[in-house]
Amino acid sequence: MNKQIQRKKLSASMLLFEFRNITGNPYIHIFGIGLPVLMVLIFGNVLASNIPDGEMLSKAVTGLFLGLGTMIPLAAMLVGYAATFSQELEKGIPQRLELFGIDQGMTIVSRILAELIFQVCSFVIYFAVGALILRIEAPAVKGLFCYMICIAALGVISFGLAHAVALLFRKFGITYCVTMILYFCIMIVSGMMGIDYEMLPPPVQAAARLLPTHYFVKDFADIWQGREYNFIPMLQAYLFTGALAGVLLFFSLRRRAGKNA
Amino acid sequence: MQLTIENLTVKYGTEIALEIKEPLTVSEGDRVGIIGSNGAGKSTLIKSILGLVEYRGSIRTDLNPRQIATHMQFNEYTDAMPCKYIMEVILDTKVSKNPRLQELIHYFEFEDCLRKKYDKLSGGQKQRFTIIMVMMQDAPLTFYDEVTSGLDFETRQKLVEKLVNWYQGKTSSLCIVSHYYEELEQLANKILILDKGKVIDYGDRDQLFRKYCGRAVVVFDARSRHQELVKGYRKLASPAHLTALSVKDEAEELAVTKLLLENNINYRRSNSDIEIMYSNARQTFYGEGQGDE
Repeated sequence: MNKQIQRKKLSASMLLFEFRNITGNPYIHIFGIGLPVLMVLIFGNVLASNIPDGEMLSKAVTGLFLGLGTMIPLAAMLVGYAATFSQELEKGIPQRLELFGIDQGMTIVSRILAELIFQVCSFVIYFAVGALILRIEAPAVKGLFCYMICIAALGVISFGLAHAVALLFRKFGITYCVTMILYFCIMIVSGMMGIDYEMLPPPVQAAARLLPTHYFVKDFADIWQGREYNFIPMLQAYLFTGALAGVLLFFSLRRRAGKNA
Repeated sequence: MQLTIENLTVKYGTEIALEIKEPLTVSEGDRVGIIGSNGAGKSTLIKSILGLVEYRGSIRTDLNPRQIATHMQFNEYTDAMPCKYIMEVILDTKVSKNPRLQELIHYFEFEDCLRKKYDKLSGGQKQRFTIIMVMMQDAPLTFYDEVTSGLDFETRQKLVEKLVNWYQGKTSSLCIVSHYYEELEQLANKILILDKGKVIDYGDRDQLFRKYCGRAVVVFDARSRHQELVKGYRKLASPAHLTALSVKDEAEELAVTKLLLENNINYRRSNSDIEIMYSNARQTFYGEGQGDE
């Protein structure tokens, strides 16, 4: 009797497998949770020592907290996932799984969902630290919802970029190098490393405006409180980075399909 | 017919890695041993059947991809979790709820490895891990590409013994690439001989043996004293350190072995020696003294 495996399109076991794959990487805990928490505590204390206690400090800490929160999707997806996936490509793991009948499309969907679940877990810890230690401002419902949507969208774009970069280079070393450079450039240009947007030269400011992270650092404290905000520039930044990730992903997938033809 | 390959050409750059002109068919129940030296095109053949390399020509099969199971030469998995979880997701089942999987795990003595991560397994355990999952697919056609490479003698023997016993009486077809010919003597009933990307011969193992070696071969040390003794008998192509004689009937075999016994010469008699058969098939294909590296 033929007992071939009849696989579902998407399953809880596949999702759990991908989640274990993420959490099994120790660096993801360090860079995806540990580092943002550490940085927000350090910079939060620096702010507290420079700004007198009161509404201004609370707003500054909240702005810092919301901006540094973007490190979670960037570290976990852009750097972490690219590193994991490039190592898998080097070892031929995706091909091995395909030979067992595990569809690549199903793997990607499971991965992105697992990454988003991991992101939610990371933010629970991050927000616990923010609320209990840094005493960030309580959000308006609209602000919280907006932050969640924007972070999720940033995560999806980071995932797409990471997948494309790993597929293009197919080697761990170069993939890790490229994504780390991207990661630090995004953080520096977006003002997460202590350099304000106003201090940047005009061409770099123009580049910063193309990054969604720039708006997290600069403006999200207002959105968080539900204040009136012009979303158009931020939306344009999302569209630009989303399109960039999409185009890169398209070419990298086509290149891979060509190689496997 | 499960698989037919015809007019196949695989190129790596400008170099032809594999060329199969005459139709080559694998039928239900065939156990095909694929042999040849490094670069002969053995793994390339499997990769082209699986669609992993670009090729020109025709590979026809009445099986869908899910009905073909493959043990690749190199099999890697994530090191982020214990093997049990990898196994469960690949096979889309639970070890605790699947008696057939439990049986295979027990058969391959893999129970203690389930909790280990893949990078902590030994070479033999890694091979068994993939074999268990390949066998669980219970596919009508299964490829084993150098399933015992890198293993010590004892582990190799045990693994082959388990494979032989497992597939005994089953109708599934196997294509086994191996450099260890004694394994194929146990596992294969057909042999495909490849060399430098070309098919030297393909057919029933026993028929090929008779075609190239006669009724049986008697193999012994290639010392000059021994050569003198067996002058007059038909010598076959063989590795440099051995002399292989072809014996055409029982009487000749008795005469040869009597001679060797009288002279206290150790010998081995076989009617299925794939190594000697391979050497002679190559020699016939290229002509005497040609085709060597």
